[in-house]
Amino acid sequence: MGKILKVDLSTESIKVEKTSEEVARKYLGGKGYAVYLIYQYLKEYEAKGIAPRDIDPLGPENVLIFATGPATGVAGFPSPGRYHVMAIRSPLTGSIGSANSGGDWGPFLKFAGYDIVIIEGAADRPVYLSIVDGEAEILDASDLWGKNVFDTCRILKKKVGGKNTSVACIGPAGENLVYISCIMNDEHRAAGRTGLGAVMGSKLLKAIVVSGEQKVEVARPDEYKKASKEALEKMRKHPVTGEGLPTYGTAILVNIINNGGLFPYKNWQTAINPDAEAISGETLEKTYLIKRRPCWGCTIACGRVTKVEKGPYQILYSEGPEYESIWALGSATGVKELDAIVKANHYCDEFGMDTISMGSTIAAAMELVERGLIPEEELQGLDLKFGNAAAMVEAVWRTAYKSGFGKYLAMGSKRLCEVFGAPEYSMSVKGLEMPAYDPRGAKGIGIEYATANRGGCHVTGYTISVEVLGVPTKADPLVTENKAQLAIATQNFACVVNSTVNCLFTTFALGAKDYAQLLSAVTGWDLDTEELLRIGERIYNLERVMLNKLGFDGKDDVLPKRLLTEPLPEGPAKGHVVELDVMKEEYYKLRGWVDGRPTPEKLKELEIEL
Amino acid sequence: MLVWEMQQSVVVTLKVFATLRKKYGFREIEVRCDGTLRGLVEEAAKAVGNPELVYEVFDKDGKPRDDRIIMINGRNLKDLKGRVELKTGDVVAVFPPIAGG
Ligand code: SF4
Repeated sequence: MGKILKVDLSTESIKVEKTSEEVARKYLGGKGYAVYLIYQYLKEYEAKGIAPRDIDPLGPENVLIFATGPATGVAGFPSPGRYHVMAIRSPLTGSIGSANSGGDWGPFLKFAGYDIVIIEGAADRPVYLSIVDGEAEILDASDLWGKNVFDTCRILKKKVGGKNTSVACIGPAGENLVYISCIMNDEHRAAGRTGLGAVMGSKLLKAIVVSGEQKVEVARPDEYKKASKEALEKMRKHPVTGEGLPTYGTAILVNIINNGGLFPYKNWQTAINPDAEAISGETLEKTYLIKRRPCWGCTIACGRVTKVEKGPYQILYSEGPEYESIWALGSATGVKELDAIVKANHYCDEFGMDTISMGSTIAAAMELVERGLIPEEELQGLDLKFGNAAAMVEAVWRTAYKSGFGKYLAMGSKRLCEVFGAPEYSMSVKGLEMPAYDPRGAKGIGIEYATANRGGCHVTGYTISVEVLGVPTKADPLVTENKAQLAIATQNFACVVNSTVNCLFTTFALGAKDYAQLLSAVTGWDLDTEELLRIGERIYNLERVMLNKLGFDGKDDVLPKRLLTEPLPEGPAKGHVVELDVMKEEYYKLRGWVDGRPTPEKLKELEIEL
Repeated sequence: MLVWEMQQSVVVTLKVFATLRKKYGFREIEVRCDGTLRGLVEEAAKAVGNPELVYEVFDKDGKPRDDRIIMINGRNLKDLKGRVELKTGDVVAVFPPIAGG
């Protein structure tokens, strides 16, 4: 077992603890271990008489946890370059904070000697945390404060030197406590969702630089070699992980999702974008794509490097945009200029903001403008009409600096729409903006969004794989039957993946059995499929218990009114809304929950100690 | 009207995506066919001058390939129970295996 670094920024104390085998056996690592730790904090606060709802997401009492898992940094494990971040509360949603990122940072944290970093308290001046070969220090960051993500990464990387050096940091958006800001690493990789950049900003923690050469051991090397070879072979041979994702990246989804009538357009007023071809993966490949860039140790390498040679949106080096970012900054806003989307995506990385929430919040503002709900003096000349590329790009940097109308966009779509008196136009669940699939045309993702613990999220349980892509099996997207079950299965398995921690994209080719084999060899425990999925279920349920403590339950497992009452006007799902109630009833029954709350019996069955 | 023309009585659009575009050199093509999926793809293959296109959509036994996503007016062939009869104005889209998230 490895080590946990516990840093209190208020007292500037640094402690090292051992990773507990007992906890890891029940919660693996990554997200699972972080959920367990955060729950202990909640209990501690409650014992001190502090109610969970009174924890200020931007106060020193919030806790931020960066966690790797048993697979992170293990060479030969399928796509092992990721880490998970959690906070007790998200400033955007008020619920738990949770995000995941790729790049090099996760593996390099392990090579620097730690499995997990816990950040408590808040500094009294800008600082950064340096973790180099087991040694951790809190250092002054006054000269870094105000710098963008790329400069911060470059400066700290150069300062520390060494081969395996990586920086996770915030940009101006996190510093300015923008609720949709994220934690960035390796320049273009983002722990994007739930506004964790602002949590880091509130602690005056600019960056965490990690560097080291420590080896990550596996428990059963021979068994591991065999399991790794088999899994990588499966990934290579699988049409999606061996060919589709490497060749086209995620942006290739634009055309197929649009073709299926699920590609939300103009703040979800419809789900067919007449200009989809112009912003598709095929068009990106022909125009601005220059090469691929993988996360550490990944054989899929879905990451894209892009360049816009000339014009108003010129940018000589960028990465992405991914499918979700193209959708949010392009389709949700009705913008069809791909170069403007590349640029806006670049700004999101540079200033450290979540592309999904950013694009969706701009889209919500555009609908409010279209309906005459935002007074002109508030807009200060920012012409937020659907389809206005220049205004969309300007809105992005204005958000990072809370400049002009940007101060409203920085709140995220839920608060923005509340401020202007029309909450129904925020396309969010539990305050988190939903991603790029309209559940009126794929019912499973509807129950998934509604019940996803962190809010409107597709990677909590990617039912689209089955409903649209037919991987590993095919289900009709327009029916509600068995969708609750599908959402639960994908949610539980995603917990396993995010606690392993490796990339969700491996699940196109690998199932729980492959994971059990690989993880048994790495950890030396004899894990079978059943135990692994039980671990996933345990994590999901404990996370839900925390949500309940924070005041979220069945009343919050809902979708925006538009999806329940406004039928899709065109396409294969024409006339459809989401029949949420029937799926929700079934979901709770299968989960063993009552009104969004796990029952004591369920918790006992899963051996969750409260 | 000639018998042949009566059989070839519907006009359907075939769209292809991703790698298939480069391989076959077209994005979409409108063809007159007999209203079956097989007929559509065969006519399209003739029109683009590449018989391989047929095997892009059908396997050796003549069944639609399991590893292709075939959509008729946005509905996946696998979800459309029963025989497919194409009508004039229908759009058939063929995707190689792709994914994302
Ligand atoms: S598949 Fe893509 S996102 Fe996942 S680890 Fe590989 S490069 Fe990173």
